[in-house]
Amino acid sequence: MNQDSENFDSLRQLLALKRHEVPPPGYFDRLPRDVMARIKAGDAGNELGAEISWFRRFLNVFDVKPIFAGAFGTAVCAFLISGVITAERTPAFAAGTITPMDPMANVPATGATTADTQFGVSSNTLASDGSLFDNLPSLRTTPVSYFPGAN
Amino acid sequence: MREATLTMTEPISGNAGDVVNRPAPAHADPIAIEEAELVQRARKGDLAAYDQIVRRYQERVYATVYHMTSNHEDANDLTQEAFIKGYQALKSFKGGSSFYTWVYRIAVNKTINFLKQRKNRAQMSLNDLDFNAEHDPDLVALISDKNPRREAGLTELQEKLNEGMQKLSEPHRLVVTLHDVQGLSHEEIAKIMGCNIGTVRSRLFYARQQLQGFLADYLK
Repeated sequence: MNQDSENFDSLRQLLALKRHEVPPPGYFDRLPRDVMARIKAGDAGNELGAEISWFRRFLNVFDVKPIFAGAFGTAVCAFLISGVITAERTPAFAAGTITPMDPMANVPATGATTADTQFGVSSNTLASDGSLFDNLPSLRTTPVSYFPGAN
Repeated sequence: MREATLTMTEPISGNAGDVVNRPAPAHADPIAIEEAELVQRARKGDLAAYDQIVRRYQERVYATVYHMTSNHEDANDLTQEAFIKGYQALKSFKGGSSFYTWVYRIAVNKTINFLKQRKNRAQMSLNDLDFNAEHDPDLVALISDKNPRREAGLTELQEKLNEGMQKLSEPHRLVVTLHDVQGLSHEEIAKIMGCNIGTVRSRLFYARQQLQGFLADYLK
């Protein structure tokens, strides 16, 4: 089957009309100037800032080869789906046995009473005593006597 | 403008990109070598070289975009953007194909994306026909039976033809534009569209069938 010549002669004659459609006079003199002006304006912008960002270059690749955009989208979807599946299959997480991290869990249980440990606040303390300031040492003030002529 | 029409149907020059990466053989196409040199200079930031590249391909790129959109203003914007994008992405041009094919692909992708966005607000802004249209033997033969007022006949045909083109899907419109209007070969179209030649042939056949149906009243 010769598809090029199969009853399409009249149509091809008509399509020849499209070749006679021309832009306004002088258009092809202006176009390169406009393109160059926009490129220069873009270059000036880049000099003020920096080079084209990595993200911009990344998007440029998609313009040239759209298949990369599809591949990238597929990879992101696959990553998300595998993440969700993995999370659902993890038994500890599913059973709810993983508890939120206790910030004081790793504090060594030594008997030393340094200032740091004295004022450390654990969630247990809060739960039992109910007040954040109950464990603070009471402030006692000792009056100071000053007699200038004593010495 | 007649010159512009003729250059649109010139065959694509050889694989200029190959010349960029390898020493040019003695029998290499001088046009391809020149293109490769221009591309190399442009990659180093030589805007004068890129200006020459733009002047060399602007008519073909513009014509393709225009025939796809049937709108001069849109074609102007898209052509400019394609050349600007081509300049910005020059560093990623590896030379696997000619620069012409590469920038053409950028323009085509931009145009298809644009057409998808504007889908429901398509408005035609057609260019005028050149003086030679009235003397084109194909067209004279086509309209002489239909309408004795040639000028009015051609304008009407132009509008109906563009309306018919806009009814085609983007890939089908692109194949008709590149083959039947621009005169590119199936191989060249396959490279630009990134598909195989069989797909190009089948799309062309289907598109012509569709177009013939739309324009039945205007065909013999």
